[in-house]
Amino acid sequence: MSLFKEAIKQIPKKPVTIKYPFEPGIIPPGLRGLPIWDMNKCILCVLCQNACPVSAIKMIPKGPDAGIVYDLSRCIFCAECADACPKKAITITDKFELATTSKSELIFHYKKSQ
Amino acid sequence: MRYGTTIKVPFGPQHPALKEPECFLFEVEGDFVVNVKPRIGYIHRGIEKAFENNTYMHDLYLAERICGICSHAHTVAFTQTVEGLVSLEIPQRAQYIRLIMAELERLHSHSLWVGIAAHEAGFDTMFMYLWRDREMIMDLMEEISGNRVLHAINTIGGVRRDINDEQANKIRKYLDKFEENIKNYIKVLETENTFLKRTVGVGILKPSDAIALCAVGPTLRASGIKNDVRKDDPYLLYDEIPFEVITHDGCDVFARTIVRCEEMLESIKIIRYALDHMPKGELKVKAPRTFPPNESIGRVEAPRGELIHYTKSNGTSKPERYKVRSPTLGNLASVCKTLIGAHIADIPMILAGIDPCFSCMDRILIKKRS
Amino acid sequence: MFETIFEIISLIGFIVFIILIAFFYEWIDRKFYARIQNRYGPLYTGPSGILQPIADFIKLLLKEDIIPEASEKRIFSLIPIIYVLLPILALLIIPINGKGIISFEGDLIFLMFLSAMITLSVFLAGWSSACNFSRIGGVRAALQMLSYEIPFGLSLIGPAIVANSLCITKISEWQIANSTAFIFLQPIGFAVIMISLLAELELIPFDVPEAETEIVAGWTTEYGGGRYALIRLGKDLELVMASMLISSLYLGGIGQIFFIPPIVIAIIKSIIVLLVMSLIRALFARYRIDQVISGMWKYLFPLMILQIIIVQFIG
Repeated sequence: MSLFKEAIKQIPKKPVTIKYPFEPGIIPPGLRGLPIWDMNKCILCVLCQNACPVSAIKMIPKGPDAGIVYDLSRCIFCAECADACPKKAITITDKFELATTSKSELIFHYKKSQ
Repeated sequence: MRYGTTIKVPFGPQHPALKEPECFLFEVEGDFVVNVKPRIGYIHRGIEKAFENNTYMHDLYLAERICGICSHAHTVAFTQTVEGLVSLEIPQRAQYIRLIMAELERLHSHSLWVGIAAHEAGFDTMFMYLWRDREMIMDLMEEISGNRVLHAINTIGGVRRDINDEQANKIRKYLDKFEENIKNYIKVLETENTFLKRTVGVGILKPSDAIALCAVGPTLRASGIKNDVRKDDPYLLYDEIPFEVITHDGCDVFARTIVRCEEMLESIKIIRYALDHMPKGELKVKAPRTFPPNESIGRVEAPRGELIHYTKSNGTSKPERYKVRSPTLGNLASVCKTLIGAHIADIPMILAGIDPCFSCMDRILIKKRS
Repeated sequence: MFETIFEIISLIGFIVFIILIAFFYEWIDRKFYARIQNRYGPLYTGPSGILQPIADFIKLLLKEDIIPEASEKRIFSLIPIIYVLLPILALLIIPINGKGIISFEGDLIFLMFLSAMITLSVFLAGWSSACNFSRIGGVRAALQMLSYEIPFGLSLIGPAIVANSLCITKISEWQIANSTAFIFLQPIGFAVIMISLLAELELIPFDVPEAETEIVAGWTTEYGGGRYALIRLGKDLELVMASMLISSLYLGGIGQIFFIPPIVIAIIKSIIVLLVMSLIRALFARYRIDQVISGMWKYLFPLMILQIIIVQFIG
């Protein structure tokens, strides 16, 4: 019965549950979400590929497809790539609703503009 | 009452009281357990071998994924071990940030466990309240590190993110509220008759047995033995911070609950002290990529008890050998001892009493020789 | 001829009404329990989730029906139907509309028989499932019945002695006629009937037969699909039965007050009982089976004997 006072206090209160899909979730500043490459700044230096612990990033150095291939399905959102980038070409956004139904949508190909 | 015959009751690998797959085979006589045989290895992930195939920087993220609840404790142990290979000194501020995160993690882990204990005893309202308050701590950690569970805040040679004044004030504000609630819950747990009936005198682990069977962490401290890596072998800056090692003489599940509750209060004190005394300065020092041949060991007081990481380097950027000994393995022998003579109805309470984390622990697979 | 048809139709109508009330009570229970725990509870099905219990029921009906190979098949599949029918039968006796539909001298004894039968069917369900968890759950239910059944019976007898009748309708009418309630006359009896009905309904702190963390779902472990839907409906009906029984025996009976019809009075009073039960469910942890039995015999039984003695020789 020692919880009685606490329990009675809760009844008129608004529940703490966030009705998430119907209400926007609370996104704190600095959330590590989807990384995005700015290909105008990128110099194709391989550092992000080397820093990635799960080989989610692959760099294509030459040819018409030259650029970064980023595989979201492997990504663990550690943001090591952003830390490694010497030109600050990678920004970590706070996007986290990234589920899709097809695997091809999870692979982002950033092409170095010719 | 003697029945003469015993029946075997399997408990797991799938069972609602164990959230992870692990099997305990009980021999039961009437309503009492006479023998128990644990069978571990259901979630063996070959993680130690994986360590050897990655560079140290990449292993950091592997270490974080050993456990879902004490992920930060594992990275602290990892960084401590790897920094020990070259005796790297990390900046004071980085140590304080690691320490604050470690204590926040202890808060979240302990409040999770006390909630689970209440749930095992059928006290669901308590469970909901504790998990509601745990959400505050999770929010704080998310705000500091950028993620709720896998914080990725440690790096070899320091930390990756700073705690600014705004965040520090928010931590203080949330902790005040959290402390008030926890004090309230301790009062409730100490006086609620139904909870006391289920926990007092259940799962007795005598101090002598606790030492003989290598119990660690709150399980050991609940048997009245003052043992805490933070005090005995201080790492980070625990030797500068005044705090007490909580012990209890109850030796039962109730003592384990109270020890964890009071440790939460101590953790809050530690965080407050650390926030007030945190010096300004660098966050990390440059760490080498390759490590000379050496051996190193890291001991950390994870929320569940003493956590040991060991590594051996061979001059390359990958470790030669990596070994993790998680606290649950240390507690497993003692929990099997305490289960003998218990009621069947008390099995979940006692098993949950050590705060088991089986996927942390499973690094052995015993294969029968044909 | 027409009278019989009309009676049958009104009986069916009454049963449908009772089932709807049962779903409504489950919703109230879940919502209130959730509110105490600072949650929302059912939310999206209908206004404030009021249709959630019905949705659950329909969903379960659509699920695959499995009968375990090793089970005692006939008993196993018969139990859910019995489990629903018994509380409905009990509700026909209880004077929900001021007067029980089947009301006769001695129906109080019949009600005790029905409540014992419910536990017996639980035991049979556990025993016929051929599963360790179900078996333990069934045995625990039977053991628990041995402890609460006698105090429960005595707590029904208390009002019967004063009202000088073994008919629930007459006990209810006696309270209205004397404009009093047995909760004031026999407070110990009221406490005892609350506790023993909590045990009967397998609610916390006495939910040992289906202790989730110990024996999965207890005696219902092997049930699924339509049969489980019926068992859940049976539980809801039991909840209605218990709260209606308490309000007719101890809370001043069920009858017309001014212009409010007795059925509204019955629902109001039983919802109060229901809320108290939800609150109790939220405030306690679960006892162990041996603690339940020894506690019931040590405290409840002597208390109830004391109450009967007071009623017989003083009151």
